[in-house]
Amino acid sequence: MKVKILRQLSPDSSPYWEIFEYDGPLDNSVAGVLDYINYHDDISDVEGNATTRIGWECSCLQGMCGACAMVVNGKPVLACETFVRDFHGKDIEIRPLRKFPVVHDLMVDRSSIHENLKAANICIGEYRPSEDTDFEHQYTAAKCLKCGLCLEVCPNYVNGRSFYGAAFANDCYLVASRNQSKSRMIGEIYGRAFGRDCSKSLSCMDVCPVKIPTLSSIARLNRLK
Amino acid sequence: MRNVLIIGSGISGMACAVRCAEHGIHVTLVSPFSSERSQSVMAAGGINAVLPELENGDSVACHIEDTLKGGACLGGRRAVTGLCEHGEEILRYLESIGTVFSVDKEGHPLRRAFGGQSHKRTYYCGASTGKQIVSALVMEARRYEAQGVIRRKLRSSFYSALIRDGVCYGAMLYDEAGGNIEAVYADALVVATGGQNALFGKTTGSTLCDGYVAGKLFMQGAELKNLEFIQYHPTALETAQKRILISEAGRGEGGRLFIDRNGERFYFMEDKYGPNGNLMTRDVISREIDALGGSAFLDISFLGKKLIDGRLPEIRDICSKYAGIDVNREPIPVQPSVHFFMGGLAVHLDHETNIRNLFAVGECASMYHGANRLGGNSLLAAVYSGRVAADTLAERNRTDSERPDFSRELESESAKLVRSSETESRFPVMYIRDMLAETMQKQLGIVRCKENLMQGLHDIDYYLSIAEHLNFDSSVMPYYNYSLTGILTLARATVKCALFRKESRGAHYRSDHPERDEKYRAATIISYDDGNFCLRLDEGGAYES
Repeated sequence: MKVKILRQLSPDSSPYWEIFEYDGPLDNSVAGVLDYINYHDDISDVEGNATTRIGWECSCLQGMCGACAMVVNGKPVLACETFVRDFHGKDIEIRPLRKFPVVHDLMVDRSSIHENLKAANICIGEYRPSEDTDFEHQYTAAKCLKCGLCLEVCPNYVNGRSFYGAAFANDCYLVASRNQSKSRMIGEIYGRAFGRDCSKSLSCMDVCPVKIPTLSSIARLNRLK
Repeated sequence: MRNVLIIGSGISGMACAVRCAEHGIHVTLVSPFSSERSQSVMAAGGINAVLPELENGDSVACHIEDTLKGGACLGGRRAVTGLCEHGEEILRYLESIGTVFSVDKEGHPLRRAFGGQSHKRTYYCGASTGKQIVSALVMEARRYEAQGVIRRKLRSSFYSALIRDGVCYGAMLYDEAGGNIEAVYADALVVATGGQNALFGKTTGSTLCDGYVAGKLFMQGAELKNLEFIQYHPTALETAQKRILISEAGRGEGGRLFIDRNGERFYFMEDKYGPNGNLMTRDVISREIDALGGSAFLDISFLGKKLIDGRLPEIRDICSKYAGIDVNREPIPVQPSVHFFMGGLAVHLDHETNIRNLFAVGECASMYHGANRLGGNSLLAAVYSGRVAADTLAERNRTDSERPDFSRELESESAKLVRSSETESRFPVMYIRDMLAETMQKQLGIVRCKENLMQGLHDIDYYLSIAEHLNFDSSVMPYYNYSLTGILTLARATVKCALFRKESRGAHYRSDHPERDEKYRAATIISYDDGNFCLRLDEGGAYES
């Protein structure tokens, strides 16, 4: 099986494709494939040329931290919960998320997610829940990994400068539902940085690794206006 | 104090940062990646506390006794009392900052039973308690970031501490973007860098927790404590890349452990310890599984789909995704895995190390858990320790003496890094880390003996001799190169501690010394003196009393 990876050695260098042969276990995840290529032996490309180890980010390796978000065969996914067996012998193509600046190979700088939330001052501050509290929805919203998959797939999100995307909307929902005194302030910011420009493709919900019901968050936030 | 440097942005680091900010102390919060990537998000089961209105026969005194007993009498009573007495305050605090706890119809937080505890006192957020606490603390930290009181510094890693004459003045950090080392001065340095997973390779924890900071600080004069006490969690699911924790919540909700014996289920824990056998402490269950061949099954299928979907969805999903197991129909194959490190940097009750103005909090500090940690106490200790350190810093005046000049050290270390970077090696540093993990898994397992430990020491000495002459492996991040010696040194110290304790207690079981020996009823302290490892027992309770 061949694994084609879009590589970029540093933020300023040009990207290029490199192809590797993978002959490891078929029950591996894509994260396992990257580890296998990197450390199974001295690393070389499919033609036998020595090359450098592939840069990628990981921490939990079980879908709980969002570090290994990348695009595999055209789909934004977490590498640790995407399995080789599901490609049925087809080659694998991996590239970094496109909506964020590349740091090294498959590692990208996702700090804009946090910076936007900080700039908009999205924080609970004090727990003053609204009466129609939906704990299950809040629990799922608070599981947001800030992995960036929802932004990668979003047709409206470009670079996070004006439209902040689903990760922002779900944190807005969480704050509004956990502290009702912030409802008005959240409603205004949400409208400006999300509600006004969201075209409701809802592709964000298809790729979310923790299945956040963003549509429900949107519905709740729209009622704040 | 006016400004503090905190290394690590998981729960303990953030709890400390937020508390410092509440006191008006400016914080620089350093981590290579964001808090969402920290190991804290993986803490599953819950957090212990005794809430008066829900007591049901429980009391803070019971929590204290359970913690001391679970820790095989090595935890300090004063330390544990402080921890348990603050359980309610911490739970209320976490609620107040928006943590989404699981609640009943009246909105009261729900509790579940956890191993080694006399009462149900583990409050939880589904099976992702750590993640929910991280999300709430991230928001709270963000509030102070927006005010400029907390400043996050990402893509930065600890290089070494700035220490002169037993006083810490900050740290040298490696900046990945710039590829250089910088000195960051502060009134105090707090390390919150988690456990030492990299010593063992495949564990239930994060690949980011490697123990380098503890190892480096040890080489710089900080004392370490109780390194031999390593918790093997009895129920992990083996996968190609890691061992995935099957939360104790599974047993807390009624799950049963068994092995297959001649085609029939043998419920070994219940057979030996009675109806509550599945909720014995983790060290006991891990040893039983080890003695029965190293693997077992956990059955939760009989609990019913409704309970599993409602309270154990993460276990359901992990098993389905990584092993193709439907927990509603099949038992889960489990085996013990390295999970938590009771040992770490030796700290006093205020979480200061033996070096003035150097503090350690969370799992990288050794405190409260003695020889074995109870489930639900790590999240409590993570938040509590961060707050204790912050309160200490708030009360302490700045050192009036003039800050020493570290420019020569900075220059020298920078030159060393540049020189190393200019050499090339085809022998990857990661291979040595893999070899170390193999050694530690084999020689420092659930059951140890002198022969194995001596072999482990021999192997580590060999790796250390290679590491000293290893050229720079430019194909990995520079951090992996410069951290290797510190990690190996910590591994060596761990094996030395295990050799030193010639008894069996808690998570440390020696087949050549199978009994508990009251002579060893004190913490192991190890210090580093120019390459020599010096061991002693903390019989006077100088650190934890």
